[in-house]
This record gives sequence, C-alpha cells and structure tokens, in this order.
Amino acid sequence: MPYNIAMVSDFFFPQPGGVESHIYQLSTKLIDRGHKVIIITHAYKGRTGVRYLTNGLKVYHVPFFVIYRESAMPTVFSFFPIFRNIVIREQIQIVHGHASLSCFCHEAILHARTMGLRTVFTDHSLFGFADAGSILTNKLLKFTLSDVDHVICVSHTCKENTVLRASLDPLMVSVIPNAVVAENFCPLSYAPRANDREHGALSELRPQPKPIGPNDIITIVVISRLFYNKGTDLLIAAIPRILASHPNVRFIIAGSGPKAIDLEQMLERNVLQDKVEMLGSVRHEEVRDVMVRGHIYLHPSLTEAFGTVIVEAASCGLYVVCTRVGGIPEVLPQHMTTFAKPEEDDLVMATGKAIGALRSNKVRTDRFHDQVKMMYSWTDVARRTERVYGGICGDISPEEFYGYYPGQGWEASGDRVRSFALIDRLKRYYGCGVWAGKLFCLCVVIDFLLYVFLEMWFPRANIDIARSWPKKLNQQEEKLKARTNRDPGTSS
Amino acid sequence: MPSLLGSPPIPPPVPDESHPNRVGGSRSHSPGEQRALPDPNRLAPEDAYYAPSLLKARAAAAAKANRDDSLRTLKGNGNSAAVATLRPLSAVSKPDAEKDVRSVRGTSRRRRRRKGAWKKLLWVKQSYPDNYTDTETFLDHLQRNPRVRPYDFWPLVADSTVIVQHVCSVVIFICCFVGIVQGRVSPVSVVCWGSVGTAVGWILWDAWAKADESASGPERVVEGDTGSSSSSVVDSTHPSGTGQKDSQVQGLGLSMGSSLPGPNRYGDSRVSESISPTANAIHQYPIPPEPSRPLRLSSRNRQRLSTVKSAFLIYFALLGLSPILKSLTKSTASDSIWAMSCWLLIMNIFSFDYGSGEGAGATKFPASLSTNAAVMASTVLASRLPSTTHVFSLMLFSIEVFGLFPIFRRQLRHISWTGHVFLTLTLVIAAGGAVGCTLRGGWAAAVVGSILGSILTALAMGGCSWWLISLQKYKNVVIGPWDPARPIIRRHWD
Repeated sequence: MPYNIAMVSDFFFPQPGGVESHIYQLSTKLIDRGHKVIIITHAYKGRTGVRYLTNGLKVYHVPFFVIYRESAMPTVFSFFPIFRNIVIREQIQIVHGHASLSCFCHEAILHARTMGLRTVFTDHSLFGFADAGSILTNKLLKFTLSDVDHVICVSHTCKENTVLRASLDPLMVSVIPNAVVAENFCPLSYAPRANDREHGALSELRPQPKPIGPNDIITIVVISRLFYNKGTDLLIAAIPRILASHPNVRFIIAGSGPKAIDLEQMLERNVLQDKVEMLGSVRHEEVRDVMVRGHIYLHPSLTEAFGTVIVEAASCGLYVVCTRVGGIPEVLPQHMTTFAKPEEDDLVMATGKAIGALRSNKVRTDRFHDQVKMMYSWTDVARRTERVYGGICGDISPEEFYGYYPGQGWEASGDRVRSFALIDRLKRYYGCGVWAGKLFCLCVVIDFLLYVFLEMWFPRANIDIARSWPKKLNQQEEKLKARTNRDPGTSS
Repeated sequence: MPSLLGSPPIPPPVPDESHPNRVGGSRSHSPGEQRALPDPNRLAPEDAYYAPSLLKARAAAAAKANRDDSLRTLKGNGNSAAVATLRPLSAVSKPDAEKDVRSVRGTSRRRRRRKGAWKKLLWVKQSYPDNYTDTETFLDHLQRNPRVRPYDFWPLVADSTVIVQHVCSVVIFICCFVGIVQGRVSPVSVVCWGSVGTAVGWILWDAWAKADESASGPERVVEGDTGSSSSSVVDSTHPSGTGQKDSQVQGLGLSMGSSLPGPNRYGDSRVSESISPTANAIHQYPIPPEPSRPLRLSSRNRQRLSTVKSAFLIYFALLGLSPILKSLTKSTASDSIWAMSCWLLIMNIFSFDYGSGEGAGATKFPASLSTNAAVMASTVLASRLPSTTHVFSLMLFSIEVFGLFPIFRRQLRHISWTGHVFLTLTLVIAAGGAVGCTLRGGWAAAVVGSILGSILTALAMGGCSWWLISLQKYKNVVIGPWDPARPIIRRHWD
C-alpha cells in the first residue's frame, strides 16, 4: 500500500553531507516503489519555497531562522502552522524525521503526533553521555522519542546508543544501514557487466588489474573533513612513520578543516611535500575520481556511526584500513579491511600490514566492487524502510512486525502501538524526568491547544489539496502487476 | 539478479563470529556461564525492562561472587541508580518478570539454532527482521563506572588540608587588609612579618634543594641536564621527582625574576625559558659528569644571586608603582571595589591549582588565572588605602601570600607530611584568631575565634569528605563503543 511520506530534516541539499544524500536517495527509491514522498527542510540561501527534484520529489524550503551550522532555531511551536498546512495539503500519513541535531525534525515529530500521524525517526550519529552538549541533546531526543512510533538507526552500535539515550524499547528500533550508489563508485578498470549474459566469455577476458610489484608505488587515500573527531591527529602522527618505513608509498589527502594547518605543518617539518598531496576539499561527486587514484583507503576516525565513506572506498576497489570505533566493525567484511586500534603505533602497524598484503597480491581488490554492490543498495534500504512504515501503520500485524520471541523478555510492553489519545501521550512524556517530564507535558498540552486553535482558525476545508506528481509506472512493473493480477485466476 | 549470473564467485565468506569486535577470549566460555555470573559493569538488555527484579537477582549473584567489598557496594548501588536514571520509562510491571533467566536462554538458543545465528554485522543479509534484538550481543560492550575508584575517608580528609591551607591564607590576607584599613594594624609590621616569614621559607626551601642535590649524588648532574631539556618539551607529566624539583627551582626563578609572581605549577620550564633564559641556560650546558662539581656549586650560588636580584627588582618596582596603584581606581565607588575583590578572591580560591604538580590531567585552568585574580584583588583593595606606604605594604604582602607561599606549601607537602599538617594547623588557628580579632578585637576574641575556627574547619573537612563519599553512589558513567575514542599518540618533537 502506497503511503504519503514527509521527510523532515534541517539538513538537505544544497548542503552536501551524509544525511542529506541519505534522505535524497531513500526518497527517490521510495518514490520508485510507488510512494509519495515530500521533503521539508528550512530555506537555504537562495533557495526558498517549493522545488521539484528529479523523479517528482517535492522539497519545501520553509523560511526559518538558522542559528548554528544549518540547524534551525528551536522554537518548539512556531513551525506548527506551516507544517500543518503542508501536511494537510500533501495528505501526509507518515512523518519521517532525520538527524538528532535537527530541531526541525524534532518539532515536526511532536506536531505530527499531535495531528495524529505516524512518525519515524532516523538517527545518524552517535553521542556520548558525559559532556553538557550531549546531555542536552539526549534530553531533547528523549522528549521527541517518547512518543515516536519507530526509530531507525544506521548501525547496531547506533541502535544501542539510541536505545540508551532515549530509553526506548529495543524492538521499536530497527537497524537499516546506509547504502552507496555503487554505480557512482566504480574502480578504474571496471567494465560494466550488464551484457555478461550475451557475451559470457567476455567477463573472463576482462583485463585483470596488473599485480602490484614489490617496488611499485602504493598510494594511500584519505578523504575526510580534517576535524579532531575524524582522527586527524592520529593521521598527522602516523604519516611520517609510515612514509619512513615504506619508501614507495604516497599519500593523497582530500578534505579541509581546522586541523589542516597542523597537517601542513607536519609536512613542512618533515619535508614530505613530494610524497603527500593535499587536495583541499573535494565535492562529493569528485570523491570517486580521487579514490580510484589509490590502493589503500585510510580512515583514522575516532567516532563513526556508520562510515559510508569506507563503503564507497571499498566499492572503488580500495583496501580499507580503519580504526575499530563505533559502528565501523559492522560495516565491511574482514577481507576488505584491516582494523587498527585508535593508537598511533597500531595504525602504523595496520597500514604496514595492509601494504604488505597488497604487495603480496593476497587481496583481490578487483572483486570488491561487485561484493559491495551486493551488500548495500538503496533499493534494499527503501524496501526495509517500507516494512517499518507498514508496521507502524498497521499493515503488518504487530506480532509479525515486532516479532514474537517467547521468553526473550521483549514482549513485555504493550505500548508499542502508540495511541494518539492525549492522555496516553502525556503519560509517556511524563516519564521523561522529574522536571523535564512536567515541562514536556506542558509543551504537549500547549501544542494540542495550538492545534485546536489552528483547526478553528484555519479550517482544513480551506486548505487546497496539492496534486500529486503523476506516477510513472515503468513497463517492468506493469508487467509484474499484470502477472500478479492474473495469478489468482490461473491458480483457481 | 540476472546481471550477476556470469560473475565469478562473489559472495564474501560469512564469518563465524557474531561480532567482529569480539575477541576470541570472550567467546571461549559459554553464554550460560556468562549469565550465571553477571558482570555488574555490564547492562544486560533485560535490565531495561525488569529493572527491579533483575537487579535483585544480579545483586544476589554479585553477593555470591566475593568481590572487593567497597567496590561492590559502590557499583551495586550505582547499578540501581543507573538503571533508574537510564530507564525511567520502563516502569512496565510484568507478571512473569521473575521468569528464570536460564530457561530464557535455552529457548532462545534453540530458536537460534533453527534459524542460523544472528550476527552483529550490517553487510550480511540475515533472515531476522531489522528490529531483531539479540539478547546476547545487545549492549555487550557497555561498561559502567569502569574507572571508578572508591574514596576512603581519612585520605580524603588529609587531601582536603590543601584547600584549607589556601582558604586560610586568603582569610588571613583579608583580615590583614581590614586591620590596615581600620587602622588597627600597622601595614609596615604586617609586611615585615610577612617578609620575615618569606625569608625563612626561602632559606628552608634553599636548604631542601641543597639537601636534595647532595642526596641524589653526582649522577643527578647528568640527569638534571637531560631532565631539564626534556622537561622543557614534555609537559607536566614529568615522571621523575628530581626533574620535578629541578623545575621547581626554575619555577621560583621565574616567579621572582619576572615581577609576575606565578607559582609555576606546570612544573615545566617552557615559560621560564622564554622569560629568564639565564637560569635555564645553566642547565642546558652539556656538562660532563666529573668536572662539573665546582661549576654546579657556582650555579647554585648564581641562582641564589638571581633570586636575591629579582627580589630586589620586585621590591623597587612595587615601590615605584605604589603611587600609581594608589590612585588607580580612585574614581570607582568603594562598593564596586568590595564586590569586585570578593569575586576575584573567590575566583582565586576556585581556580587555584591544588594538585601536587605531578598529575597530568589536573591542569584545567592555567595557574596564572588564580594568581592574577588574587593580585588584581589586592590591587583594587590597595587603592582604598590612605598612603603610598600602605599600598606598597599590601601589594608586597599579597605577592608573598599569593605568589610565593603556595610554592613553599607545595614543596613542604612534598618534603615532610608532619610539617604540612603543622602548617595547616597553624594557618587554621591563625585564620580563626584573625577573624575573631577583626570581628571583636582583643585577645579573648582571638582565642575564641581560633578555637571556633578550628572546630568549624574540622567539621567542614569531615562533613565534606563524608558528603563526597556518599555522593559516589550516584556515579553512573556509561561507556560504550559509541564514545569517541581517545587517540594515543606518542609525541616526538625531533
């Protein structure tokens, strides 16, 4: 059953980034599966109002005051009138928020619950529990997620983190990883196999990439924003030692950030300019062109929920050396990666091991692309997300959706199907904390009164219904549909 | 996938272990065993739901295991509080909450065998739904209170003497100021007594340094050489005590030489390198071990000379500055001055470096913040005084109290514990007496004040220590793989 879905996040194009492309890819694939998807984000510079992207993806850029790093001002209520208008206009059934640092997303989930819509939240990042910023974010997250219908996390580590941060029922949290568009991350020597069946022998003839000799130059690629939490300090410490012990190694570093100065100082102090190439920041579509110049991808990050970039690197046929932090160990199989502890010595050692493995031609990097293509695809992500939508809308029975695990201890709470009754919602919010619970209840009550007021002042009847983008059924699907229609007839 | 039919064997091998993070050792014992003896450091997923019942079971199991007593109670208590804070929403009361955990295990394992083990991996296509939560691996890397160290009462009280000392010296300074303003105490006598104390302290300190030098023998010369050069590069985490003292020597040289009396609490000589190159240069000569003895003695004397020299420098600089300082804040109302000096002294007390100068992580505020606040407080206070002599005396006294006295105190604590306790006692009595004197006047009031002050201080020390220990049960540090890793980087500054 097709749904009308609104993706809400502060972060969307034209700003580049992981969350942004996640939203875009997921929306596109959901549209391909027959759903109607709109995106609500705040206005970016020079981009206000309604825009259509490819495939009829409609984007609402709502004018809003931006305070910090493209996050909207948290005003709790001021977004409600226009949000209600959009939701009614587009006949939305499911509101899907993204990113825990996005105020837009939190507000939208609150208002959507008040309006009686199903909500989903996708968490893309990991947070600790110690520092003041995290504590505040966690409290806010708890507020929103007390009443959300389902949560999606990008890795199992992220799920554990979110469950702890927001005190959620673990069965209400699904793990659906990010994906990559494998076609955009092909290795240099990759011939598309679309016509393999016709020319079966051709795939055998496909030129094998020539093996790396003992004295060939091995290039290590690093593409990351140069921030502390991306492990740039480790990188700075490791590069001179790697280069000292492996003379035929070159580095390509792409990305910019506050640590770029330290990196350059290190290069100057050790006179490594001819061995290390600094490219500055590259655009996302150029990433592949940088990656295919190298043999090893080095990822020294200190925290990472998923690490899409290492999947992209593996897809480009690079051997990956990465730190064993966050969700990274779950992402790629052993034969594509060498793990290191987040320590300088271990990173140097792991890189040395990776170089040795490549030189002895033990690693079949030419197969990586096809393997990654099988592991991660946005179509798969969309299919799994669709199951979540089905579960929360009641199209999949709760027993099937949440699973029946006798004796596992999970079947405890009967509160998974969240009712919209105000008193039930208040009960859920009240449990958030001694003071916070009362404050949250107050917010919810005001939100409800605001909703009643808006219903009276701007009645639904006066809001026009927007016409949906005409759906394009491709021939294959039509054929499929015809077949499924015919099937019952033939069987009976 | 028709397009992939003709491809070589692509599917990557699916590993046996369920999580790549797991090391072989943790897999070796069966999960049943693991469950029987729950690690109190870990939160099992059931904790989320059956907080009360499970905690009881866990506490019982923990009681069976004979662990360190204090640590266990601490962590056990921490557990209950932690679950309560982590899980306020999960107040789901269930009739079958007291189900046997073992049978749960059994059924889950049977089922798993049927379906194939779930793996904590993202790249494997699994037959489990996306929201499947594996009881065994879920949150298995969570640690709580991993680095917690239970406090003992008496060591805590002993450590609090440092704070008491500083607060007392601040109180004494304030009382002296009040006495001077009210005309009950002559500023010259105050500064004379202060200077006598400083001189005695310096002589003691010098004797310690000398004893230390002769005690560690000739090999210290070489070490002192390398030590000083390394202490200029390594920051405060200098491991060797000799290097510590060595830099203390330079620390005093700095505080005297640079009319900015900062107790050099970093224990490094980076600052002094920039300010007083002569003092440092002595140490950086590559001295051969044998013929160094006469040179070293002269270096000692030269250091003394430079100390005396800088003392005179400060003395005359203050003398010259006094008229300016006197009229510096004349246009400011007295009320503002009192408020400001109050805040500045509070800032001094709170940002003062109470560490012994050895720990690495103790340096959150620069030590100069504390000293600067105190000196500024005395500067603004000095401008309320009637004459240049008054101003000069107060300023000199403040430098002695806030700049030099902390260095002496730290060194004393390092050298002799009895002396430290004795000094604390003296300071407490003196501060109490001074407060009594200031409030009432007369010797009787001073005696009553010192007795009252001592009792109050002892109560406060005990009470605060007890309070801190009792607060420990609320400690709930949750650490897991989601925390940003702390990179371990070896520093090389070649």
